[in-house]
Amino acid sequence: MASRFWTQVLRDRSWSRRGRRRTQTNRYLKTDNASDSDDSDGQRRIVRSARDKRLDEMAATLDQIRNAMKINDWVSLQESFDKINKQLEKVARVIEGDRPPSLYIKALVMLEDFMAEALANKEAKKKMSSSNAKALNSMKQKLKKNNKQFEDYIIKYREKPEKEEEEEGSEFEEDLTNISKPDEEEEEEGEEGEGTGEGAWEKKMSKKDKLMDKQFMKDPSEITWEIVDKKFKEIVAVRGRKGTGRIEQVEQLTFLTKVAKTPAQKLEILFSVISAQFDINPSLSGHMPINVWKKCVENMLIVLDILEQHPNILVDDSVEPEEKETQKGADHKGTIRVWGNLFFKSLQCIDPHTNEYVKRHRDEPMFLVLAQDVQDYLERLGDFKAASKVALRRVELVYYKPQEVYDAMRRLAERRADGEDKDDAEAGEEGLVQEEIRGPLSFVVVPEVASRVPSFPESSRAFMDSLISLIYKHGDERTKARTMLCDIYHHSIFDEFAVARDLLLMSHLQDGVQHMDRSTQILFNRAMAQLGLCAFRGGLVPEAFGCLSELYTGGRVKELLAQGVSQSRYHEKTPEQEKLERRNQMPFHMHINLELLEAVHLICAMLLEVPNMAANTHDSRRRVISKTFRRLLEMSERQTFTGPPENVRDHVMAATRALTKGDFQQCFAVIDSLGTWKLLREREAILDMLMAKIKDEALRTFLVTYSSCYDSLSLDRLAAMFGLSEDHAHSVASKMMISEELQASWDQPTRCIVFHNVEPTRLQALAFQLTDKLNILAESNERAYEARTGGGLDGLPPRRRGEGQDYTGGGGGVAASGKMGPFLPHRGGGSRAAPVMAVATGSVVGSRAAAGFQGTVVGKVAEAVAAVVVATLRVTILGDTRIHMAGAHTRRR
Amino acid sequence: MALHQQYDLTSRIAAHLDRHLVFPLLEFLQERQQYPDDEILKAKIELLSETNMVDYAGDIHKSLYHTEEVPKEMLDRRAEVVMRLKSLEDSAAPLISFLQNASLVQELRPDKQYNLMMLNERYQIGPDQIEALYQYAKFQFECGNYSGAADYLYQYRALCTNSDRSLSALWGKLAAEILMQNWDTALEELNPSFFLVTPTLQNFSSPLSQLQNRIWLMHWSLFIFFNHENGRNGIIDLFFQDRYLNAIQTNAQHLLRYVGTAVIVNKRRRNMLKELVKVIQQEQHSYKDPITEFLECLYVNYDFEGAQQKLRECEIVILNDPFLGKRVEDATFSTVPLRDEFLENARLFIFETYGRIHQRIYIGMLAEKLNMDEDEAKRWIMNLVRNSKLDARIDSASSSLIMGTNHLNIYEQIIENAKNLSMRTSVLAKNILENVQPQGSR
Repeated sequence: MASRFWTQVLRDRSWSRRGRRRTQTNRYLKTDNASDSDDSDGQRRIVRSARDKRLDEMAATLDQIRNAMKINDWVSLQESFDKINKQLEKVARVIEGDRPPSLYIKALVMLEDFMAEALANKEAKKKMSSSNAKALNSMKQKLKKNNKQFEDYIIKYREKPEKEEEEEGSEFEEDLTNISKPDEEEEEEGEEGEGTGEGAWEKKMSKKDKLMDKQFMKDPSEITWEIVDKKFKEIVAVRGRKGTGRIEQVEQLTFLTKVAKTPAQKLEILFSVISAQFDINPSLSGHMPINVWKKCVENMLIVLDILEQHPNILVDDSVEPEEKETQKGADHKGTIRVWGNLFFKSLQCIDPHTNEYVKRHRDEPMFLVLAQDVQDYLERLGDFKAASKVALRRVELVYYKPQEVYDAMRRLAERRADGEDKDDAEAGEEGLVQEEIRGPLSFVVVPEVASRVPSFPESSRAFMDSLISLIYKHGDERTKARTMLCDIYHHSIFDEFAVARDLLLMSHLQDGVQHMDRSTQILFNRAMAQLGLCAFRGGLVPEAFGCLSELYTGGRVKELLAQGVSQSRYHEKTPEQEKLERRNQMPFHMHINLELLEAVHLICAMLLEVPNMAANTHDSRRRVISKTFRRLLEMSERQTFTGPPENVRDHVMAATRALTKGDFQQCFAVIDSLGTWKLLREREAILDMLMAKIKDEALRTFLVTYSSCYDSLSLDRLAAMFGLSEDHAHSVASKMMISEELQASWDQPTRCIVFHNVEPTRLQALAFQLTDKLNILAESNERAYEARTGGGLDGLPPRRRGEGQDYTGGGGGVAASGKMGPFLPHRGGGSRAAPVMAVATGSVVGSRAAAGFQGTVVGKVAEAVAAVVVATLRVTILGDTRIHMAGAHTRRR
Repeated sequence: MALHQQYDLTSRIAAHLDRHLVFPLLEFLQERQQYPDDEILKAKIELLSETNMVDYAGDIHKSLYHTEEVPKEMLDRRAEVVMRLKSLEDSAAPLISFLQNASLVQELRPDKQYNLMMLNERYQIGPDQIEALYQYAKFQFECGNYSGAADYLYQYRALCTNSDRSLSALWGKLAAEILMQNWDTALEELNPSFFLVTPTLQNFSSPLSQLQNRIWLMHWSLFIFFNHENGRNGIIDLFFQDRYLNAIQTNAQHLLRYVGTAVIVNKRRRNMLKELVKVIQQEQHSYKDPITEFLECLYVNYDFEGAQQKLRECEIVILNDPFLGKRVEDATFSTVPLRDEFLENARLFIFETYGRIHQRIYIGMLAEKLNMDEDEAKRWIMNLVRNSKLDARIDSASSSLIMGTNHLNIYEQIIENAKNLSMRTSVLAKNILENVQPQGSR
């Protein structure tokens, strides 16, 4: 399992790197390409046999070219060149990826150099035969054109031929270096001061390393500041050049730190070490190897030690004081950020259930220590802006931890502090053996001044508070917003719903969150989800639902919380999008349990929606609280057979079915059987709360649904039915009476509910509908008028206008009652008619001039409406026979 | 802790008041004898130590320790205060003498710039003297000479050009009026000042200081609102403005007690009740006292027993609250008018709500709920029925009250629904015609 995962990660990463290269080849390659050879390596391994053949062919052609060069035969050179180009196409088909084989590049380089040579040599050119000269010229053109495509590779190759060669196999190596050795290489070698010839760079490097060692080993006492400085400058100069192995460079630099003469110098070198260590990490999406990361921490701590110890260091020593001052401040902020990201990323990449993941977590306190020290340092410097950024980092590490986890972390940190020396001795043994033996002991011994042990306050709340107040004072907008969200999240974890809610409302974050960056939005979503859970734990169902419902409307919770990518059936994502998402993913330990979240959301929806559905079955204006829930319910009702519930959704649906019948026990049993509850801390209390809520809602549903079947119902019985206390049942029922959900009242002496049964008769209901619709009519008339005079909307869409026309032909008077359906504003026959209603006044509409009729039409509408209402009323009240007519009429329509 | 101490808000309120304004609160506490006298006297001395009312502080000291000795530092301070008073008086003298001369004051015009010019040219009274007036007024205030301070501040404001200064002068004047118990003037003062606080603060200062100012204003206004006969409306008008309601919810939840009381007592502002209950519910985690709990019991949980219990506690709270428990001393007995009103109205509230959900109620039961004996309750109900405040009949045989059916008749509902249709349409028609005619005549 684990191994499969690894290969996948590997492939993913190389893939993403490739994608990246495609987009920004230029910049990327110029600055760094060690990774390049690495992953092309990986690719080749996959398709060895198929490409070997092609590459052999190419090698043969290369040989031909070489021969042609020797005899200065441009005609055959030209042929070979064409041939090699064709081969390239074949090779390209075999090798996935768009990178040409380095053999080919080698050929290009050879040709180019040879060409330059030939052109430079005027005499030889003159001596050439005419066909040869012609070939030379056309070759010149072709080569120029061709090489342009591969410019980057050529440059790169020139800078660093050996690596490529080594991979290709070494048989060509000698030839090549004989024929044309890039000048640059010579220069570099010269600079290194070794002056040695053709040996492979790699060997040279290690040789040089040893040389350096020897040099220092001989007489450590004689090493002067100057020598170290010189060496340092040399190494730094090489940095960024292509030939240097990064890891070696780090080693060299580390060695130098040991021999550094003054603290200032050591500091300077350490900075380079750290940045070199960062360089080891090849791309943004990958993460730093863990051991490097750890060393990096050590180094940074040492830097801080030095700074702490020598507050005046910048003035005392001769090394460009000002420059360094500025550089350092920037460095810290940048590094700490990058570095926290690395930590985050490495957690992201490591498989959550492995041992390694747990181990990595152990490093967290280390990071916190560092952040703390840096923050202290920045505060001392008075750079509060930067300090608040660092503080935010710390907040982000802690905010999602409940107290238990926080305590665990604290204990871990303490234990580590105790056993630190021992640990170090054990862990670092292999590493130290090499290090210590090789290098002399440090000249500048730095005592550990900056604390190595994080100082954690007892409660994480106190910890958060101290950091947060600093950030609010000094942070910029984004930092503050993020802190606020972390704070909200943290409060929610600690069940302080009211505080968290107030924070959220007062900060007005929800207004601006759309304009924030992705990771802040994710943080916002997480905070909302946590707030919802918190509200639920507190028994605040409507609040919990309010927090969660938005997350669930789109059905993309996973994405919104950045906990995995949900496959969308409808549109493919571009690789960039996907990569971006991947980068934003939360590491596993920060996940909010989705199952629990879904359960909470659906249960809240159920508790709100079931009584609501019961109350509004006959209502024309149905009020829907949760669309998502309704949809799910419809789906589950459509099933022919309902099996036993399997997932969260099924469970809640089963519970809903029970609840609609008022069977609260069944409902609770189903919900209780959900597995996710074990994730909650006070499981029992929450389930009790849930039980109480379910009873309440069952009672409400029951009362609403069956009120028409009862004339009266005693409180005792009601309370017994739902296992509620009488007071509580009384309170629930009273609430319903007051809000007019229930047409009933208490009869105090006998303690029962007396139902009034004021269900309207059909005619009454219709009359109600009529008045409702007339109200809508009047409203839309007003709205149309406003739209007209407000100048916002110019009339209405043509389709609707057309429909309106159809209804202008109706009769007048009572007939209007039949036309309740499409109350659409109508544009009259006139040229600039205001959108007036045209119900029941068709005859008027056609015949009058625009200016005249508008007023009249409206007037007529009013009259007609009034007439209808009055007529209906009179009819109803008198119980006239006409009732049936009117009723029938309405129904027919 | 005893109930009255538990719900004592003095310390919370005092944080938002001027030093001098706390004094009346302490007096009240002393009068109520809730705390040992010594403690209060100590608090008073503490309070006075920062002011210039040295003599008074000395007196309190004497009564506290039963000595005739006044500590040395107090005497020193006294000397210092007197000296300072002299010097300030001197520097403000020219302006004051000018202002005391009625005929000269006549020359001032509404135009501020003109006044300043005139003073400067003719009487050599420049900004320095005007500033001195302010300082002098402030010093007077500190000394407890409120009426003098109020006068000077009034005049200072007529001459002052600096808006910040003007604002603090306004606060000072308000405080002085409150302390002099000139409720009418104070209420008048409150209007301009609160208009001033609302817009200017909105534009120029940070949200935090706006909030602070609003909260101050609300606290200060408590003095006025619960003492002026028209204050009951005023407090609701002011506190229910969005900004002020927000301020209450943010940082001064304890003010809900006063809002709650005001709403219960005020019959005409019944419609605010719903909003208030919502706010109380939102803030129940941060503030709770019997008055808010009473409303919550009654309007959220419909728990009449609970409401009953809370009502009893409310009485204690009201009696011990410096603003609510104001006594009216009659020749023979003293009453707390607000308590009586509160209880009466609360009773009505309970009854109303109870009646709304009941069809038949035992009068005995009702009497118990209303804290009355049965006959009294019967009389009370009969009065209500007679005044046609209540649609109900008393069934004497079973000694129960039968409520009239209170749900709306369906015909009425329909008529209600269609009531304003015709009006709305004719308004619409008129509007259209108005629109059309000018165009037609063109």
